[in-house]
Amino acid sequence: MPPSIHPVDLINALRSKHLTPAIVFLTSRRACDDAMQAFERSQVAIPPARQDAIAAVLTELVAQYPSIAEHPLQSVVQRVGVAAHHAGHLPSWKIAIEELMRQGCLDAVFATTTLAAGVDFPARTVVITQSSVRKSRDFTDLAISEVQQLAGRAGRRGKDLVGFAVLTPSPYIDLSVITKGLTGQPEAIDSQFVISYPMILNLLKAHPLDQIQAILAKSFAQFQLNSRAEILENKLDTLHVQMEPYGPRVCTDWIAQWQVFDHARKQKAHRIQVKRHESPELTARLQFLTPGRVVGVPKARGIVLRQYRSKGQKQPMVTLLRPGGAVTECPAGTVTQVFDKTFEVTEAPVYPWCTPGCLDELTHQANDLPVRMPALPILVQEEPEESQIVQTLNDEFPCPTCPSRPACQKDHAGALKLRQEVHRNQKMIQALHTGLWHRFQSRTEILQQLGYLTPTCQLTEIGEWARLIRIDHSLLITELIRAEAFSGIEPQVLAGIMSSIAHDDDRPGAFPRISPGLASLLGQVRHLAESLEPHEDPPLLRADIAAVSERWIGDPNLTWIGLCRLTTMAEGDIYRLLARTLEFLSQIHTLRGTHPGLADCASRAIKALRRGVLEELP
Amino acid sequence: MTTEELEKLLDEQPVSRLHRLARGRIHRHFRLGKRRLVEALLRCTPENRPGLESDLHALMQEPLPAPPVVAKERRPAGPLPTRPGSQRNAHPGHAEPTEPATDLASFLEGIGVPAPHPFVPDAWQEEAVAHLASGDVIVSVPTGSGKTYVALEATRRAIAADRTVIYTSPLKALSNTKFTEFSRLFGPDKVGILTGDRKDNAQAPLLIMTTEILRNLLYDAASGEIDVRLDTLGLVIMDESQYIADPERGVVWEETIIFCPAQAKLLLLSASIGNPQDVADWLTSIRPSPCHLIRHNRRTVPLRAGYLHPNGKLSPLFRSVSIPHGQGGALHPEAKRLFAQYEEETIRPRSH
Repeated sequence: MPPSIHPVDLINALRSKHLTPAIVFLTSRRACDDAMQAFERSQVAIPPARQDAIAAVLTELVAQYPSIAEHPLQSVVQRVGVAAHHAGHLPSWKIAIEELMRQGCLDAVFATTTLAAGVDFPARTVVITQSSVRKSRDFTDLAISEVQQLAGRAGRRGKDLVGFAVLTPSPYIDLSVITKGLTGQPEAIDSQFVISYPMILNLLKAHPLDQIQAILAKSFAQFQLNSRAEILENKLDTLHVQMEPYGPRVCTDWIAQWQVFDHARKQKAHRIQVKRHESPELTARLQFLTPGRVVGVPKARGIVLRQYRSKGQKQPMVTLLRPGGAVTECPAGTVTQVFDKTFEVTEAPVYPWCTPGCLDELTHQANDLPVRMPALPILVQEEPEESQIVQTLNDEFPCPTCPSRPACQKDHAGALKLRQEVHRNQKMIQALHTGLWHRFQSRTEILQQLGYLTPTCQLTEIGEWARLIRIDHSLLITELIRAEAFSGIEPQVLAGIMSSIAHDDDRPGAFPRISPGLASLLGQVRHLAESLEPHEDPPLLRADIAAVSERWIGDPNLTWIGLCRLTTMAEGDIYRLLARTLEFLSQIHTLRGTHPGLADCASRAIKALRRGVLEELP
Repeated sequence: MTTEELEKLLDEQPVSRLHRLARGRIHRHFRLGKRRLVEALLRCTPENRPGLESDLHALMQEPLPAPPVVAKERRPAGPLPTRPGSQRNAHPGHAEPTEPATDLASFLEGIGVPAPHPFVPDAWQEEAVAHLASGDVIVSVPTGSGKTYVALEATRRAIAADRTVIYTSPLKALSNTKFTEFSRLFGPDKVGILTGDRKDNAQAPLLIMTTEILRNLLYDAASGEIDVRLDTLGLVIMDESQYIADPERGVVWEETIIFCPAQAKLLLLSASIGNPQDVADWLTSIRPSPCHLIRHNRRTVPLRAGYLHPNGKLSPLFRSVSIPHGQGGALHPEAKRLFAQYEEETIRPRSH
């Protein structure tokens, strides 16, 4: 059995149960086209009367949209009574399919799930074949609202008594996503407020700076942030209630007081422990136990060769040269006497820790040590006793003698946790209330740096015209105009640049060659876009896309079919590219007051662009 | 919810519920034990924590986590039982529902064209139009239940009162469709369309445009460069206003609503969304008149869900004829069996 049902079988099955007309949602355009091809190859044909009905509708539409007449799929649709409807088609063709569907001439339409919102025609049945949809290179499960959007197309008002959502499996389908989507409540929506540069310029044009915060506060974004803040405020109220038993005691801020005291106490205790490790006598002595020093150990004397800390033992160690030449290790603690006598030692990094000549010399010396030698007077610094530490704590803090000390000690951990929670909540509420405004301010600073705004947030001369560019990548476009990149430009080159900025699809395709003038300008644009990257995401700036528009505008004799043959892009994509270029160019055209030459060039480009297929729709 | 709280909550869940939660989130989650499952769930969703939480809460609402049907019905290759009766008996663990599942005949019953009768608007449609007289209205109802009627009726009344109406849609394609449709209904001289570079019949009382174009008009109006009669504007209809949640374009809807002139009424038409009350509250808080919300889940044409097996066999998808609301797992036994069989065949194709 095939992994999913064959399109022809699918439609036949639906027909046999009287479930047509149907919209079949498929994963990709490719799947829609494959389904159409399957029909083209099959021997299916609908009755001649219906074929004629389709032809009649199409002929009627050709008057308004001439491009339908030469559409390659026209005859197939007429013969088999099904059609594909996706973003790869021209709008006029999609309109034709929608009209056919509305008039009930078609049995089924194969559409992509991605464009469910654009499918504005109902059917008796909707067929769902997958549970995930491709969103920016990744497949994500359909949301409940998306499933309902798909299923919502089923059942035509006034034409059907019931509508059907039919699920047919394909590999990777997850049944639970669909059933959840059909039975569940749609997701809540969230604001997606972003502060764009044109928004700032237009706001500041119409309103003084001190009103802006109030305007931003009217956004749905702030409304939702406020309701989140409200939840936090409620939480804060309960926290305050919980804090009540921990109000002011002997000192007003006893939590902080106790915290500092506790910290100090622990620090001191820590210090005592470390010092207790080595006796004060030993510590005082250690600095004299240098190589060459003569010391006394019980029942013997020796010369120190080195002092070290053994890895295995915690105590400091010394290596001694005993009279007679023996080299021994012993803990520094066993040293009983330190004499006021040293010898020259040339140290070495390995046993016996001094050069052989030196060792011979020292052995000699060790054997001849005088019987009595003066001991070194070593001052022992007395460590403060623990009682003294407590005394200092007593001096610095009132806590040790405070009557509420036991209560403080008991409550401190809980109270501190509560107070931290309160602080965190207060910070979060603050951030929720001012976040939008801060975002506005940081973007305003960028505009000030770039010279669109004065330091007092008035529009500069540049800002006055830059606010008319209200499209994506507006900063790049205004900066290009400021850099005079477009002075004396040809309409087709301007259109090429605009389309490479407008196009945000990275699907590959083979495209015509680009002219050297456009290529070098595009390099300049790319350079500028890179330098603006910290402020604005750079567009893709594809050279092959630029070349498509350049060809279409530069060569008035190029037909639509001719343009399509130049590339592997789908018709619908080329149309959308040019339509978007048109939008960008018309924005440039609004600058006719300040940049007459450029606006004129844009309007010439628009005129050249609007021909053939692009003239069919407003 | 903090990570610790979530972890604790996850720990308390039965493992079967965790597996359902992990579906689609963790690759090969069925290989993991409970401890590792919880860890993986926490690890895999740092950015979509709210989604995980809401799914978890939804799962916790369900009374008993039904045993994973598919896993249970999957069995080594062999002759598959075909009679639904025997299939049901093979699952003693499955709770027997009180009502018998619907059969195909009653599922397909009633297909046909309703008798033509004069159009009578639903109560909610009347309600929406009536409330537009005094304030803004949000209509959040399922797709295809007659939002357009509200728009048309409201437009008719506004034009009769000599006011301008602006109708916005998110897509140029939809604008064009509406332009054709409205021209047919109101007459071509009454309808105009505005695009970035073209103004067709811009003096008409009903203007159709994309939301971006309206936003730009409002910008110009705010800075004093006015070229459309905003002072006579009586009604702004925003179709598909669930686009306010669109990551790239949603901000345009917000700006348009914020800057919409106070004397113009707003009519927001939206597909079903989860929190239309929030949007209504927002509008009430920023607009001069209170906003009336109309929401319901009833469909004008009832919807049924079916399952079509690749061999052409059709079965109802749910036990009941209509789609149950808010309760998962009430799948039709036949659909369940067919889907299990499908998974069986696609996951381990027979070798011959």
